Amino acid sequence: MEEKSVRRGFLLSKGWLQAVVIVMLLGFTVLGILAYKTYEDGAPVPVKVFDPQGQLLFDGDDVSAGQQVFLHNGLMEYGSVFGHGAYLGPDYTADYLRRSSNIAIAGNGGPPVDQDGMEIDGSDSRPDPAGDVARQKTIDQFRDNQYDEDSGELTLSQTQADAFRKLIPYYTRYFSVDDTEHGLRPEAITDPQDLRNLTAFFAWTAWAAAADRPGKNYSYTNNWPSEPRVDNKPTANALVWSAISLIALLGGIGLLFGAFGRYRDLGWHGREQTVVSFRDPSTVSLTPGQKSTAWFFFVMAVLFLIQCFVGAAVQHYRAELTSFFGFDLAVILPYNLLRTWHVQLSIFWVATSFVAAGIFLAPMIARREPKGQGKLGYFLLIALAVVVFGTLIGSYLGIHGVLEDAATNWFGLQGFEYLDLARLWQVLLVVGLVLWAYMLFRVMRSRLRSEHPGNMPWLFFLAACAIPAFYAVGLLAQTYEQFSVTEFWRFWVVHLWVEDFLEIFTTVMVAYMFVLLGVVRERVALMVILLDIGLYSVGGVVGTMHHLYFSGTPSEHMALGAFFSAIEVVPLTFLTVEAWSFLQLGANQESKSETEFPHRWAVMFLVAVGFWNFLGAGVFGFLVNLPIVSYYEIGTALTANHAHAAMMGVYGMLAIGLSLFCLRYMIPSKKWPDKWAKVSFWGTNIGLAWMCFATLLPLGIMQLYKSVNDGYFEARQFDFLTDKTANMLEWLRLPGDLVFIIFGAIPVLYICFLGVKYTIARRGEGDGEGEADAELFTVISGTSMEDEPPDMPARPEPTPGT
Amino acid sequence: MNTEVLLAGGYGVLLLAGAMVLEWLSRHTHNRSQAWRTSGFDYDAQHDFWVCHKGEQLWPAEFDREKRLVRYRAKAAVCNACPAKGDCTDSNHGREITRAVDSWPHSEAGRFHRAIAVMLVLLAACELGVVLIRNHDPVEIAVLLPLLWVSVVALWWLARDLVRTPDGFPEAMPAHGNRIGRNKQT
Ligand code: HEM
Ligand SMILES: [Fe+2]
Repeated sequence: MEEKSVRRGFLLSKGWLQAVVIVMLLGFTVLGILAYKTYEDGAPVPVKVFDPQGQLLFDGDDVSAGQQVFLHNGLMEYGSVFGHGAYLGPDYTADYLRRSSNIAIAGNGGPPVDQDGMEIDGSDSRPDPAGDVARQKTIDQFRDNQYDEDSGELTLSQTQADAFRKLIPYYTRYFSVDDTEHGLRPEAITDPQDLRNLTAFFAWTAWAAAADRPGKNYSYTNNWPSEPRVDNKPTANALVWSAISLIALLGGIGLLFGAFGRYRDLGWHGREQTVVSFRDPSTVSLTPGQKSTAWFFFVMAVLFLIQCFVGAAVQHYRAELTSFFGFDLAVILPYNLLRTWHVQLSIFWVATSFVAAGIFLAPMIARREPKGQGKLGYFLLIALAVVVFGTLIGSYLGIHGVLEDAATNWFGLQGFEYLDLARLWQVLLVVGLVLWAYMLFRVMRSRLRSEHPGNMPWLFFLAACAIPAFYAVGLLAQTYEQFSVTEFWRFWVVHLWVEDFLEIFTTVMVAYMFVLLGVVRERVALMVILLDIGLYSVGGVVGTMHHLYFSGTPSEHMALGAFFSAIEVVPLTFLTVEAWSFLQLGANQESKSETEFPHRWAVMFLVAVGFWNFLGAGVFGFLVNLPIVSYYEIGTALTANHAHAAMMGVYGMLAIGLSLFCLRYMIPSKKWPDKWAKVSFWGTNIGLAWMCFATLLPLGIMQLYKSVNDGYFEARQFDFLTDKTANMLEWLRLPGDLVFIIFGAIPVLYICFLGVKYTIARRGEGDGEGEADAELFTVISGTSMEDEPPDMPARPEPTPGT
Repeated sequence: MNTEVLLAGGYGVLLLAGAMVLEWLSRHTHNRSQAWRTSGFDYDAQHDFWVCHKGEQLWPAEFDREKRLVRYRAKAAVCNACPAKGDCTDSNHGREITRAVDSWPHSEAGRFHRAIAVMLVLLAACELGVVLIRNHDPVEIAVLLPLLWVSVVALWWLARDLVRTPDGFPEAMPAHGNRIGRNKQT
């Protein structure tokens, strides 16, 4: 590309950029304040905990050690605390609270309990005045907060202290049983000290769940979980902010559609397309960097398929806990190991596709590729493979107890759900992503120099940089830190990735693809991108707090989280209905063209992304978003429903769509397996929709019903899953899962295999370093689009398609 | 009547309603994106012409049978002299606007949404069927059977429509000579 001495100015009016910068700054300022409040006002871990006689029950180090036992043994991938984690096992906060309050009631003269802290059946049917007194006493004991902020010491009531002592043997039996009845490995935890600390950790979360915050009439967790035995019920805040956020959503949607109804075109009224004829993709010569992406996509497809198989095994535990078609799977692959593999693979394969697509697009944008990009590409791929397989093996060793303590933390698993990987791999992954951003930079360097930082090349580069930057925030979560704090940083990654920066990177990438194809003008694309960044960030940044309603964080987190995350749904609705149609429009071929549009199935996958963004993220996300709903449903199948529909529906479909887009250039047109692309499109979409609607959604509704009616503890019991209706639902998803794997994942693997095959076959072809192919995707006849000379210089006569 | 029947009945209704909402939304998006492309232009349905924001009229010029769309065009001389031409078109033959019966990818996106709706209804039928096999007192049959019947009818109706609707993906048109070039073919 000709080096321009003058920088190209910003294509839009400055107001666009200012608005976006202000939104970001405000959002992160608020998030910064909330970070401070989390450290200040998060549920405190007492330095020492005493019984009324002044005997030490446990201390702060025990709680921290117990938290590490919990995390490093992969228990957050089995059950949960504060509602966060996996859903097969119980929520240990609710579990400890139920058992300890039962023991306390018995201790106060109420109905007796068994050695597990459960009521003996049939003990409470008739009116029972003694029991009522005992229950009221228990409520008072649990809610009374005897934590001394100055000394950091906490004194529990006698009954709470007794409960703690009685529950150590219970959890000891539970975790050390030499059997796979819980879906954990036999003798999962046997060290008495570990078991004691683990119980102390559960005891601390349960204390925080019931003890009133100083000066408030609700607990540190905003009264979560619902538990009549300690008078835990939704707070007024939860109700008020649910109502306000509902109004915010409806108002926001109304406003935006109103505004767009009035200014229908925001300045881009339907301009007639130039005549476009698409180059036959196989005549586009590829750079070494671009060719390396064939391998990335192949690895992506392999990981995707493995994730599916692991997912099938995870599901099998829910349908039939103790036998895997007659085989005791949990001895080798316990539930929590499979669950952590499943979750981590989903992140890995999607990230692999994003990374590859970035490497593929950069030279198209820059129109050059410096020497060595291909080698760097292969190096990055190997590094990625090391991280992925290191993580998988580490999780295995960690959960099987081969590694211990610090070794688990660094090489086994840290155990935070979604950030499970050991610290070594986490650091390496950050390094790998930084290397990736550098690879994009070296390709685009001169292009960036000639552009205003608000224009598309910069936005592409900055959006890419945000991915490692926000992944690195996860390093702030340390397994020994107070749990509210680790949850706070964990969700910076989990939430800000998927609900802000990945959405942004997606829009930039997709918009750029269409600009490069010559079907959307750069100005229009830029507007859509900036609108998108603004709209997503208004709600998405502060909206992070919708994960921290009940994690021991102050009620501000709940109020702001509920309000702003409700606004997140506005762009999802709006962009689906409005702006995604610009992408559909992008491929529109009403102007006559003699070459076929080459990206039929890539575009259809983008259509699917739009659909799932609306349904999976928008509708199913909002379904669990109101504090009052979240209060009852957190950690149930309704969350799984949202998580699958949003994660696979949006980012999974996108990852596949991007791979098809790029592979179309690597596989010769005559060999392009259009039929398999079609099969995978229908297979993944129908399979996913079936999974959600046949099982996860109805099961979630049933579980929510159970939780409101009978209690959260009951809804999370394993009995619930084995209830005959629930069990029927678990089996009903089987056809969908089969469709998803056989017609979805396997064809994707085949197509990616072809990509590798033909890239090898065409090795050496057009490997001239330096200048990339001057003619890229498209040939545009007619006047070139006036506002984007650097991208689309007028072309010579088109090469007719094959 | 046990709770499973109530739940299944309720959920069956929900699925059917979901399919209906999806059908409606799909049509709505389709119209919105259609409107997007023609924004700035007003359509006069009675006389079948468009008016651009400068007040010029575009009349039907051609019906493209293959792509199932009508092309409307403004007078070339007027457009070529128009100060807004740069933002409007680069054709020298007058601004053209099309009204598609259903063009790709909307056509195929529509099929995608329709297929999901078919799946929802199929699921409703399966679920109601399974529950009916498990629970069949007279009362339960009275609740489930009509719902099952509605699902099957809806399924048949939607699926038939899905099969009949073409995907509308444009075939490549073999070049016949003069089509390649700097100007739009007229
Ligand atoms: C593409 C975008 C999105 C993706 C990929 C996504 C993914 C996920 C995942 C994987 C979880 C499970 C986390 C866990 O188990 O701890 C989750 C939870 C949640 N999501 Fe989303 N989400 C998206 C958008 C949204 C939106 C737009 C909203 C709301 C407006 C939302 C609201 C929630 C809430 C409230 C939870 C917590 C539920 C719980 O912990 O029980 N999400 N999301
Ligand atoms: Fe979130």
